Amino acid sequence: MTSSNTSSAAPTPGSLSQAPAEKPSAPPINVLPSQLAQSYSLAHPVVLLGLCAWRFEAVVESTTRELLRDLPWLAALQFVYVITCLPPAGSSFGEVTPGPEDKKRASRSSTGSSAPVRPGKSSHRRKTSAKISWASVWARLMPASLAFGLTTLLATPAIAILLVLFGAPLTTHNVETFLCAAHMALLSSTPLIYVHGVDATVWKEVWGISRPADIVWGSALGTGLGAWFGAIPIPLDWDRTWQAFPITILTGAYIGYAMGGLLSRTPFVYGKRIQFAPGPADEDEKKTN
Amino acid sequence: MGVFNWGWATLFANVLIPVGILIFSSGFFPYKPLLPGLATFDQADQDATLPVFDKVVFMVVDALRSDFVYSNESGFLFTQSLIRSGVALPFTAHASSPTVTMPRLKAMTTGSVPSFLDVILNIAESDTSSTLAFQDTWLAQIKARGDQLVMYGDDTWLKLFPGMFGRSDGTTSFFVSDFVEVDNNVTRHIPDELAQSDWSAMIMHYLGLDHIGHKAGPKSSHMLPKQQEMDAIVNQVYTQIEQQSHLQSTLFVLCGDHGMNDAGNHGGASAGETSPALLFISPKLASLDLRQSSPIEPFDDLQYYRTVEQADITPTLAGLLGLPVPLNSLGVFIPEFLDLWDDQSTRLHVLYRNARQLLNTVQATFPSFTFDAASLADSCMMEPDSGIEGARCAWSRVLRETSSGNVIERDFEALESSLLQFSRIAQNLMSSTASNYDVSRLSLGLLITAVAAVVVFPITYQECKRSTYTGIFLLFLIIGYGSMMFASSYVEEEQQFWYWICSGWMVYLHIRSASSSTTASSSRAGVFSANAGKFAILGFAIALRLVRRWNQTGQKFAAEPDIARAFFPSHRPIFWALFMLTYADAGLRLWRSLPSTILKMGGVTLATLACVFKLNFVANDSPELIVDTILSRIAEGWPSSASLVLQARLIFGGLGGCVLIALALRSRSDENEGPSKLLHEALHLFLMTQSRATNIPLFLVFRIAAWSLSSMELSDMEVTITTMILQYTSFFAFGGSNAISSVDLSSAYNGVGSYSVAMVGILTFVSNWAGPIWWVSAGHLLRGHQEHGGESHNAAALLTFHVAASALSVMAACTALRTHLFIWTVFSPKYLYTIAWATGNHVAVNLFGVAGLSLLERRR
Repeated sequence: MTSSNTSSAAPTPGSLSQAPAEKPSAPPINVLPSQLAQSYSLAHPVVLLGLCAWRFEAVVESTTRELLRDLPWLAALQFVYVITCLPPAGSSFGEVTPGPEDKKRASRSSTGSSAPVRPGKSSHRRKTSAKISWASVWARLMPASLAFGLTTLLATPAIAILLVLFGAPLTTHNVETFLCAAHMALLSSTPLIYVHGVDATVWKEVWGISRPADIVWGSALGTGLGAWFGAIPIPLDWDRTWQAFPITILTGAYIGYAMGGLLSRTPFVYGKRIQFAPGPADEDEKKTN
Repeated sequence: MGVFNWGWATLFANVLIPVGILIFSSGFFPYKPLLPGLATFDQADQDATLPVFDKVVFMVVDALRSDFVYSNESGFLFTQSLIRSGVALPFTAHASSPTVTMPRLKAMTTGSVPSFLDVILNIAESDTSSTLAFQDTWLAQIKARGDQLVMYGDDTWLKLFPGMFGRSDGTTSFFVSDFVEVDNNVTRHIPDELAQSDWSAMIMHYLGLDHIGHKAGPKSSHMLPKQQEMDAIVNQVYTQIEQQSHLQSTLFVLCGDHGMNDAGNHGGASAGETSPALLFISPKLASLDLRQSSPIEPFDDLQYYRTVEQADITPTLAGLLGLPVPLNSLGVFIPEFLDLWDDQSTRLHVLYRNARQLLNTVQATFPSFTFDAASLADSCMMEPDSGIEGARCAWSRVLRETSSGNVIERDFEALESSLLQFSRIAQNLMSSTASNYDVSRLSLGLLITAVAAVVVFPITYQECKRSTYTGIFLLFLIIGYGSMMFASSYVEEEQQFWYWICSGWMVYLHIRSASSSTTASSSRAGVFSANAGKFAILGFAIALRLVRRWNQTGQKFAAEPDIARAFFPSHRPIFWALFMLTYADAGLRLWRSLPSTILKMGGVTLATLACVFKLNFVANDSPELIVDTILSRIAEGWPSSASLVLQARLIFGGLGGCVLIALALRSRSDENEGPSKLLHEALHLFLMTQSRATNIPLFLVFRIAAWSLSSMELSDMEVTITTMILQYTSFFAFGGSNAISSVDLSSAYNGVGSYSVAMVGILTFVSNWAGPIWWVSAGHLLRGHQEHGGESHNAAALLTFHVAASALSVMAACTALRTHLFIWTVFSPKYLYTIAWATGNHVAVNLFGVAGLSLLERRR
């Protein structure tokens, strides 16, 4: 399950118009350097896993109600996480309408945003140095609201469709599938959108599952992979209630989210891409995560 | 990719695999030594024997589950009144797995526990080694006495007992949709036979109830009327027994050979399948004064009244009819009938003969243990109650009690119970040793298969090294599949593994095509082809999702609604539209791949003929699909003169013609891919003919998937892995599973007039492996036409390694888990399927089939 494919709906028009002028893709991103950001970025997956473990019984008890009830809490936690730890997409908010010229500039600024300094802030600082704090808040709130808006409107339905394509029931359990997709979208897509906005190149890479490994992409990929592995216990004849769809899938997604995020921060994996050799002739292989 | 560039290692490994399988099988399904000849009475037995009955009417109702007779939802109202009045003695007869007709008939007539191999022989029905002509049965005993037997119903009896019956009329169960004719064919003989007095045993075997089960399940609306029909026959027979003087000491046995599960199928070991009803009916039984309440509230485990073993029927009949107990019987006389004899010593003698016969079988199996009084004296210190020591102990008690005191002072009650106890211990002992594994052969088989895997490993490793990630995925697949074979639920739900792996591989293909399209888009093609790739993967994903849901299979989710059995019957126009579309597509492609106009016309005619044949077949086999559609009216108008056999032969002949044309085509240099395309189309039509009607639109879905794959520019190794995964996926999508009951025999007799093992075997294989065979051919087309320089891809080695590794893990699982509860219900069937995968699908289709296709092209 590749959460990355959330983008299927979002980037397609962009990638079409963008195709002739290839631009360099955004480099892997880092967690903000502040003490708070660094430590919370480590604590956040643990908090999520803890929440998952704590609510597991309740989810087994009444799946839909509990998943729905947990949704705002998950959203709040992800909100705190992206605001605290991740560099917001530069001026990506304005990127929806302007022409290619602006876009290029925007992308350049977002490219700069990967520098260890808080980048979104810096670009605004140049404009209005008087309203530093306001700009800072604005620069974070706008991508955040964009992230949550797009997660709800695009990522969740897209993931739900993907879940069905990967074998989720279509004629029954629709509510469960949708809630599962919502959880997975909050885990995987919200940080991606917050960091990258609607940068077409990035989303094209996401669609091709060829982003360089970083905390955001790693946890998104981990979510999908974890959900895929989460399907394993379902056919066992243990007759446990937790074997019902989508409990194991979602549990796998949470675990994959935590592990993917943490793993891809290690220097060993960081910055590497998944790229399969198109043929035996291709020698330009890179390491998978 | 012909035979010649497989390399000696691959060739060698493919010789080793069948050898390993053969040796492992000989250790796993051991030939059980049977005592030859017929049991006879000595003079003492002759004097002490007092038959209660001189005739038996043995009525088998196929798949008569216990609750069909005993519960309060049953239609057997008259039979239930007999139970209440005490003239019918009801039991639940435990039928051990495999619960298919032939092994069950063997159990009921010889009293033995048939080996698992009988399942295969049940499918290859005419196999002569499976007949009981030379085995000791209660039928043979009646015949040996010089009496006549008659038989009406399922012709399995005629195959099992050639020359046994004086008069008979066998019925084949060709169309499962026939609920009426098969039974009327039996019933019409009853009045005549009951009027005659020249027979001692009359056997009737009704198939209709089983057909209803297979077709519509135990809750079908046809079920109650059928039960009432069977009840009326019980009434008819019983009334005659009461009224006719020559029938006055006739025992009437009504039983099922096996039950059915909630889906109406059988073969496995669920409570429903192993719990048929068993009733002994005679006015004489009223003297036993065993009135029981009837009907009873239905309950889940289906064990109504007392549960006896199916094998117990044999010694019980032998005792009641005054016959010697057949030599290899493992049954125990049902003690309820002892009170039919007033004389204590006659009763004891019946039990004693039964016990002595069991002792003989025990001694034949365990020659190193002695059972004489002297050596048994001190063997009972531990009081074991099972196993060989338990049997010795119980026998020593019998000896002690028979030797103590004179005849009058004997404690008959105690002796009776110790004789019965010995018999039961011996029965358990012998039933559990019915499968004695030859561990050294198992190990040798494992070793040889392991060598086969090791031999191809270097080549496989080279292949994998050339494209790392593909190799890693393949290894992940093989290891995952291998370890899965040790868990019974994953064996039962194997389809889930392949669907799951397939979705993972889909992501791989997606990443592959996405990355290649970005690198290539600048140089050639541009936007459109890059996007075509994206749509291709989407098409592939949707096709796969449809395929997964086509037939629900396995155990856990088998009853959930699916496309073939739930959606199509309720949306018949959609089904028929897809059906016609598939045939139209097949005809169109035949048209395109044939060279000249006349031949093109011929191709279209052939496709039309195939379509008409399938429609006729559906009208016979599953009429519920055709009612209330336009087709039903058209079908009525069809000439019924051309039989199905003839139509099928015409189609096969036409397809053979296509193959000849393909052979002729290859001499023309201008036709580049003509021959293999044409062969693929011919095969396509052949596989459609051999598939269930509801599966036919799947071929259209496969076309879409294959088209998506062809636009992805896959490397040879990727094509090999893709088609390998799709072979397994499609096998399960067609409704296959690892259970014996899912073998589809409906198309096994297409074009076959008289039974022939080879033809029916091949057709059965093709109709069950239609999906895999299709993908082998499609894979060949996908792979074939790229001219690749340098070292070529060795698909055979990769496939051989996979097959060797999976056979190895299945064998290891069967060896390690041979004492597991599920060994005969889950692991052994899986082993049988593995044999078919390894020999039929791998060696015959994947290697020789593809080698043949390659040779055909090579000549150019």
